[in-house]
Amino acid sequence: MLTRARCLMTTTGRLSAVLVDLSGTLHVEDTVIPGAVEALRRLRQCPLKVKFVTNTTKESKQMLVDRLQKLGFDVQPEEVFTSLTAARNLVEELKVRPMLFVQDSALPDFEGIDTTNPNAVVIGLAPDKFNYRPLNDAFRLLLEGAPLIAIHKARYYKKSDGLSLGPGPFVTGLEYATDVTATVVGKPETTFFREAVKTLGCAPEDALMIGDDVRDDVGGAQVAGMAGILVKTGKYRPGDEEKINPPPTTVCDSFSEAVYYICNKILKT
Amino acid sequence: MASSGSWFDSCSDIQGVLLDISGVLYDSGAEGGVAIPGSVEAVKKLKQSGLSVRFCTNETQCTRDHLVTKLCGLGFPVQREEVFAPAPAACIVLRDRNLRPHLLIHPDCRPEFEGVDCSSPNCVLIGDATDEFSYKNLNEAFRVLVGLQDPILISMGKGRYYKETDGLTLDVGVYMKALEYACDVEAEVVGKPAKAFFLAALQDMGVQPQHALMVGDDVMNDIGGAQSVGMRGLQVRTGKYRPEDEHHPSVHPDGFVDNLKQAVDLLLQHRGQ
Repeated sequence: MLTRARCLMTTTGRLSAVLVDLSGTLHVEDTVIPGAVEALRRLRQCPLKVKFVTNTTKESKQMLVDRLQKLGFDVQPEEVFTSLTAARNLVEELKVRPMLFVQDSALPDFEGIDTTNPNAVVIGLAPDKFNYRPLNDAFRLLLEGAPLIAIHKARYYKKSDGLSLGPGPFVTGLEYATDVTATVVGKPETTFFREAVKTLGCAPEDALMIGDDVRDDVGGAQVAGMAGILVKTGKYRPGDEEKINPPPTTVCDSFSEAVYYICNKILKT
Repeated sequence: MASSGSWFDSCSDIQGVLLDISGVLYDSGAEGGVAIPGSVEAVKKLKQSGLSVRFCTNETQCTRDHLVTKLCGLGFPVQREEVFAPAPAACIVLRDRNLRPHLLIHPDCRPEFEGVDCSSPNCVLIGDATDEFSYKNLNEAFRVLVGLQDPILISMGKGRYYKETDGLTLDVGVYMKALEYACDVEAEVVGKPAKAFFLAALQDMGVQPQHALMVGDDVMNDIGGAQSVGMRGLQVRTGKYRPEDEHHPSVHPDGFVDNLKQAVDLLLQHRGQ
């Protein structure tokens, strides 16, 4: 642990920001991961900036914040950076009018965005909209040169009644039809992590990511130049730490232990 | 635009011609679609010339019988036995391998699968299902595939899009790719561009591939597929044709023509007919 901590110090210089994954790291659905509420409080007492980062496709930022607050976490909307935020930022940067494939529950995150006479396609998770006619409309826009923006490319997700198709298959199908390559905005894309730390006014090298997904959280953050802590909660499975190279900066049993590690090993080394 | 390439200078040894249907003979769409100008006459001339002619389609929105009726209604001299379509070919594959399919196909194509055992499916078969490609139906097909120990996905064609009278429209290949990506499987294709499909039509004509010409509007599936078995491939600038096709990274048609009429005129003229 100490060797790793020294190694982290030398690669990051001075740690100034921590990015925290939500689902699987702080909570699983409506259950708090033991010790996480108190650990977050401790983290906030450190001289560190904190941002919460998540790949959400159907929940708006406000819905996420409401849930976290109900569970007892001290989280404000402006501290949350989601794949929907990243998609919105890209839409604004490109100055395009998107055709939005997102569920109605995610629409608040696109409030104020002009979607009339669209000239871009944004694909999130939209089971109610992934049908032949709307996809055909999207296809025709892409042929006219509209950019394709994917919130992420997950193959499927778990629903109460079984596995269900995620956005990835539909993005892949449209890419095949048009030879257009989608710009993916969520984790594990490098731009996602860079944008998230940019909002904190610091460089990736001075930031650290804590998450339960070895590829999407830890691997993605490390590729972006950050340090990464893998927690053994949520979707973690034994052996996950060996799935990426270089391996996670460190592995902790939980968010609570990760905060202890940051406060007592990194900041005090 | 003039025809490019010199395919017609060396066409005297052509004995048989395979014609794609949608985008070459007619554009499909509401109310049965419309014949492409000159194509009815061109098919008549070609058949009268003594050359063997077959029709190779990836049409799976209706039965072969229905398609033949529709083409006859537009004035084309086409008989059922001359038409090679993916559904009859798929039925043979299912029978030979004892496969019981979960079908995701167009309702009008269902009669082709009458009598096929679809109970406790051990594969998924998809065709150009158009409006049936809903999230719900795709998800059902996905769940069948992920539930199989050895998932088999059979796709009737793998086209990206085709031309309807109101514009370009997504084809079955897009949904094939979606399911491939979701389940990490590679689909087996029946119909174009599968080699077996072209070879079956050639065998029926009794013509060797090097003496046969394919005329189509799909650079990958018609031209690329035909060339892969040793035939020559001629691309028409009708149907789904887009100017980018003339600079395709991997497929180089033996020639381009404005439409079927020009193809037949040049072919017969240079054969001395």
